[in-house]
Amino acid sequence: QTPEVVPRSIDDLRRLCQEGKAKEALELMDKEGVKADADCFRSLFELCGRLKSLEDAKKAHDFFLQSTCRVNRELIHKIIEMYGKCASMTDARRVFDHMLEKNIDSWHLMINGYADNGLGDDGLQMFEVMREKGLQPNSETFLAVFLACASADAVEEAFIHFESMKTEYGISPGVEHYMGVLDVLGKCGHLYEAIDYIEKLPFEATAPVWEALKSYARIHGDIDLEDHAEELMVALDPSKAALAAMKGGGYVPDTRYVLHDIDQEAKEQALLYHSERLAIAYGLISTPPRQTLRIIKNLRVCGDCHNAIKIMSKIVGRELIVRDNKRFHHFKDGKCSCGDYW
Amino acid sequence: SFATPEEAAAERRQRKRRLRLEPPLSSLHRNQQQQQQQSPKPQINPNAPKLPEPVSALSGNRLNLHNRILTLIRQNDLEEAALYTRHSIYSNCRPTIFTVNAVLTAQLRQSKYSDLLTLHRFITQAGVAPNIITHNLIFQTYLDCRKPDTAMEHYKQLINDAPFNPSPTTYRILIKGLVDNNKLDRAMELKEEIDVKGFAPDPVVYHYLMQGCIKNSDSDGVFKLFEELKEKLGGVVEDGVVYGNLMKGYFMREMEKEAMECYDEAVGESSKVKMSAVAYNSVLDALSKNGKFDEALRLFDRMIQEHNPPRHLAVNLGSFNVMVDGYCAQGRFKDAIEVFRKMGDYRCSPDTLSFNNLIDQLCKNGMLSEAEELYGEMSEKGVNPDEFTYVLLMDTCFEENRPDDAAEYFRKMVEAKLRPNLAVYNKLADGLVKVGKIDEAKLFFDLMVKKLKMDIPSYQFIMKTLSDAGKLDEVLNVVDTMLDDDGVEFDEEVHEFVKGLLRKEGREDEVGKLMEEKERQKAEAKAKELEAAEAAKRSARAAVASLLPSKLFGNKEPETGSAEATENASEAASSE
Amino acid sequence: ALAHFIQMRQAGVEPNHVTFVTLLSGCAHFPAKGVLFGPSLHAYARKLGLDTNNVMVGTAVIDMYAKCGGVDFARLVFDGLDVKNSMSWNTMIDGYMKNGKVRDAVELFEKMPKRDAVSWTVLIGGFVKKGQFEQALEWFREMQLAGVEPDYVTIIAVIAACADLGTLGLGLWLNCFVMKRDFKDNVRISNSLVDMYSRCGCIGFARQVFENMPERTLVSWNSMIVGFAVNGHAEEALEFFNLMQKKGLKPDGVSFTGALTACSHAGLVDEGLHYFDNMKGVHRITPRIEHYGCIVDLYSRAGRLEDALGVIENMPMKPNEVVLGSLLAACRTIGNISLAERLMKYLSEVDPGVDSNYVLLANIYAAAGRWDGANKVRKKMKDLGVQKTPGCSSVEVDCNIHEFVAGDKSHVDTDCIYSTLELLSFELILCGYVPENIVREPYKFD
Repeated sequence: QTPEVVPRSIDDLRRLCQEGKAKEALELMDKEGVKADADCFRSLFELCGRLKSLEDAKKAHDFFLQSTCRVNRELIHKIIEMYGKCASMTDARRVFDHMLEKNIDSWHLMINGYADNGLGDDGLQMFEVMREKGLQPNSETFLAVFLACASADAVEEAFIHFESMKTEYGISPGVEHYMGVLDVLGKCGHLYEAIDYIEKLPFEATAPVWEALKSYARIHGDIDLEDHAEELMVALDPSKAALAAMKGGGYVPDTRYVLHDIDQEAKEQALLYHSERLAIAYGLISTPPRQTLRIIKNLRVCGDCHNAIKIMSKIVGRELIVRDNKRFHHFKDGKCSCGDYW
Repeated sequence: SFATPEEAAAERRQRKRRLRLEPPLSSLHRNQQQQQQQSPKPQINPNAPKLPEPVSALSGNRLNLHNRILTLIRQNDLEEAALYTRHSIYSNCRPTIFTVNAVLTAQLRQSKYSDLLTLHRFITQAGVAPNIITHNLIFQTYLDCRKPDTAMEHYKQLINDAPFNPSPTTYRILIKGLVDNNKLDRAMELKEEIDVKGFAPDPVVYHYLMQGCIKNSDSDGVFKLFEELKEKLGGVVEDGVVYGNLMKGYFMREMEKEAMECYDEAVGESSKVKMSAVAYNSVLDALSKNGKFDEALRLFDRMIQEHNPPRHLAVNLGSFNVMVDGYCAQGRFKDAIEVFRKMGDYRCSPDTLSFNNLIDQLCKNGMLSEAEELYGEMSEKGVNPDEFTYVLLMDTCFEENRPDDAAEYFRKMVEAKLRPNLAVYNKLADGLVKVGKIDEAKLFFDLMVKKLKMDIPSYQFIMKTLSDAGKLDEVLNVVDTMLDDDGVEFDEEVHEFVKGLLRKEGREDEVGKLMEEKERQKAEAKAKELEAAEAAKRSARAAVASLLPSKLFGNKEPETGSAEATENASEAASSE
Repeated sequence: ALAHFIQMRQAGVEPNHVTFVTLLSGCAHFPAKGVLFGPSLHAYARKLGLDTNNVMVGTAVIDMYAKCGGVDFARLVFDGLDVKNSMSWNTMIDGYMKNGKVRDAVELFEKMPKRDAVSWTVLIGGFVKKGQFEQALEWFREMQLAGVEPDYVTIIAVIAACADLGTLGLGLWLNCFVMKRDFKDNVRISNSLVDMYSRCGCIGFARQVFENMPERTLVSWNSMIVGFAVNGHAEEALEFFNLMQKKGLKPDGVSFTGALTACSHAGLVDEGLHYFDNMKGVHRITPRIEHYGCIVDLYSRAGRLEDALGVIENMPMKPNEVVLGSLLAACRTIGNISLAERLMKYLSEVDPGVDSNYVLLANIYAAAGRWDGANKVRKKMKDLGVQKTPGCSSVEVDCNIHEFVAGDKSHVDTDCIYSTLELLSFELILCGYVPENIVREPYKFD
């Protein structure tokens, strides 16, 4: 070994963390035994969370458990957060359960983590446990609770918690709480209820309120409401001027409709899982819409499949090119280039 | 409403109980693959309804798709939006329920019910789990299509199977739809269900129900509903939406004083009642329909003063419709037109229905030229006239003895790709024949016979007309058409009828000949079809032959089978 | 050459290594005679010690044995060589590949101290020749990873593999790769590209490559004509067939296959027959089975089944399964059971291992509701021991080939695939598709 090589130090580790190289940082700790300090752990945990890499997160957690700062509450919170971002609430929960000195923030982190991972029900249960333990929820707790409600589709509960916040805990709701309830309505698709809610707000709706409604209208595909909310938003805050929307449409009444059903036997017949159909189906779900698919078959394509693929090309809106052991079939818009002879 | 979070949560969990959070069909198949391999997938009942995807599913490519579809909707290319959504099911970028809802919403707004239901059927089949918005759209569709029973069946399914609760909007849609479809009893029952489900009483729902009572002239019902609402809300009804109906209830009982007290309670100086545009319109309607038009005018002025878009909307299209009706009832048609035209000043735009309403009133009161002027304004405002518009104008023109113009409106309707029914056509034919315009009638017959399913009386009418005018050749011409029409049967009775017409010139045998001729023609057409296929092949052959090198054909030894081809090729070459 | 050698020996001239190399390669080129003279040449060279201490002679001996079918002798010589150069290694690997000893070839390849482009090419080309295209592509990837620059021979082999597998993605990548190399205008490379594109169903790209070629050979034209024909562009195929002759090239058997295929595709019976006569009469080309196949196809397509049968009965060779398949397919389309039954006797004459025509015949019966007939055919298949070739389809996604057999459930995305199919079949029926009464793949019943 050349004598110039300086043993790698915590500075290298810090640098790797800053550069976002989690794998290298962990390797450095593993292979060369570099010990991280609290700062390093903090940035490492953040990094693993950002990269959503559960594997690295677990490694970092292991090193932390061997380190001297393993009782640092602030860092344990970071770990809970990290596991939440890596979509592993089971690990987060384990860390939480082993925590000796939990504070209210620990609970908040858990509820928020559950909400972010689409596990609002668990978040709400967490809140119940917290109350049973006699902890006094604060204003921030309820923001977490509303987040959990939004994630669990729990519209009614959100309103109940909102009431109890005022009556039971004497917390007067702030704008952020009203926004929290609005988010519950918006995320759950209760758009008209959201409008009513905004009209009944005890303060005049602000631009951010309309902005929130506008984005929920967009998510749920109600263009007219989106435009209306946008207009109000711009009226209140002209700096948010946005594009004027195009509207229009003719009135064509047409009430013909049928709900179809096919009998089981016909369905089974149609479901012959010939290899070309499997290949097409896989090709379809693996490529963007309307892209041409090319299928190669070792035998001649059978008549039934030929007929089916013709119609499929129309249904799926794609050109399907099938090369069998004899010739090519370019299927498009329900027709085949071979002119139905092959 | 639910008393405790536990109750609400219990209800919610019960709905979800059969369901596990399973990955949606193929959307996430790449990300989920690992997880699936780690833990064996729980066995799920394939028929159990799926949980709809959360808002967070709308990210990455699926969000791009959503935005793309929204752009198409804004460009009013609904067909492409629906098609692209369908095609995306067969791709690596599965549309979210949000994207589907966007298309369905747009289709509902444009009354494209059949397209809407087709798409809905498709996504259901494709396993895209519907959310509450989807269900609400479907309720609205069935109710708009006057299928309240289907809507209620769908509602039953939602209650029994869906992993989520209906929303207050669900009940507004259902109750309004039931009332509009004359199913007040069912609507009342549903209101009881809302109570049981623990929802807060909704004044809008009561408004619809009271409207239903008024339609049924049931003033007791109106008051009962109001009292019930008042009690549930703790003695005060702050939402103004019910007051108009309450007034109508009093007026119905000829309790004018009470009606006006109620009016004062709603809009008086010290009133705490909140009035939306809908609430105002209802009150406005109550006044103008009950001999208080002057008061209505005053209220309308006040509404206009209050109107401050976009923040506060005190008037809307409905307000103007009420005013137009009010003026017309007073015989003040000029004022009606004037207030109608003012709509644009208050950022309201008339729709086809409002135009039809006013045009109807004007036509009925001998103001055809004013009606026509309004008709002219429709295209300026980007409002499309519908069948009703044209039929109104056509009828009135006939009444005013302007048959040519009447015919012109009919023609425009057909040109606008609208679909007048047989009755409308019969009216036109009748009108034209009455004034002796037999040739025109025949022209329209020729135009419409391809588009309408003509029945035997319509055929007979035109044949009789032509025969009366001595145009027997044309009668035979119609017979010819009728023989080609698969929709009607040229039976013995019709045969006799035609013979009767022709007999006056002794030409009754010609029908039989015509029928024979027809049979022959049909056989011939079949033969021709075959020949045409052959000809198509020949022309392809000629095209290829012209490409063939002459050397190839010139130097060859005479062999069987090839001489013919040479001839073909040279024929083709020389014929060019 | 051998005669000269004998003369030379008789004249007492001692042959040197050059003589041996020449002679041995002569043997290698004509394995039939080589089998006789090769070993004696080897013996003679051995006497002079040339086979072990002269690497060129040694390599030539290896090549001779390999090509004459004595690959194990070749290995003995290879192992006995005092000095081996890369050519000896490559020759030995090539010998193994040519004799189908893939595992030995790969083993040797991996033992090889220094692999050059030729070594890789030998291996990859060997796989392609053996029809193991996936392996060929896999080794090409290895080659890329090893950082060895492929030469044009490698590229031709790889493009051929792409053509067969229909991996357009990789094909496009190769085209781009070629564009940056010196051999971008190499006529054989371009020919391969034309073939690859047309066999991927991308006839437009094939034409582009063709039109950008600075020079074209008969093969280029043929690839293009056949490409157009099989892709259903009959007019273009015939246009190019015509154009080719205007440019002074004489069409060969392949060109005519293209032209005839085009005619059958467009239903141009008379023209097709005409070309066929012309081929025999003017160009003096003896028709091969594929030409007869086209004519049968031509008649079948036009519904002239009796004429088609006449061709089969009168042609100078036994029909193969392709020819019979054309006619059977026509019987099926038209619903002519009696003719299909008459074809039965020919069926047993062709390779009994091929099942597709039996299946077709069974389906003809089934479509007509003649389940007795269908069962008879199935029984016959069983008696003859005809194995069902599993139908196998592949699709390229992101340059990866995914293969499926009927009823396949091995793919990781199986659930998604089947639910997509279920939805598709539902929509199909809504669109008016009526599934036929067809005999399901027979092995399912066994």
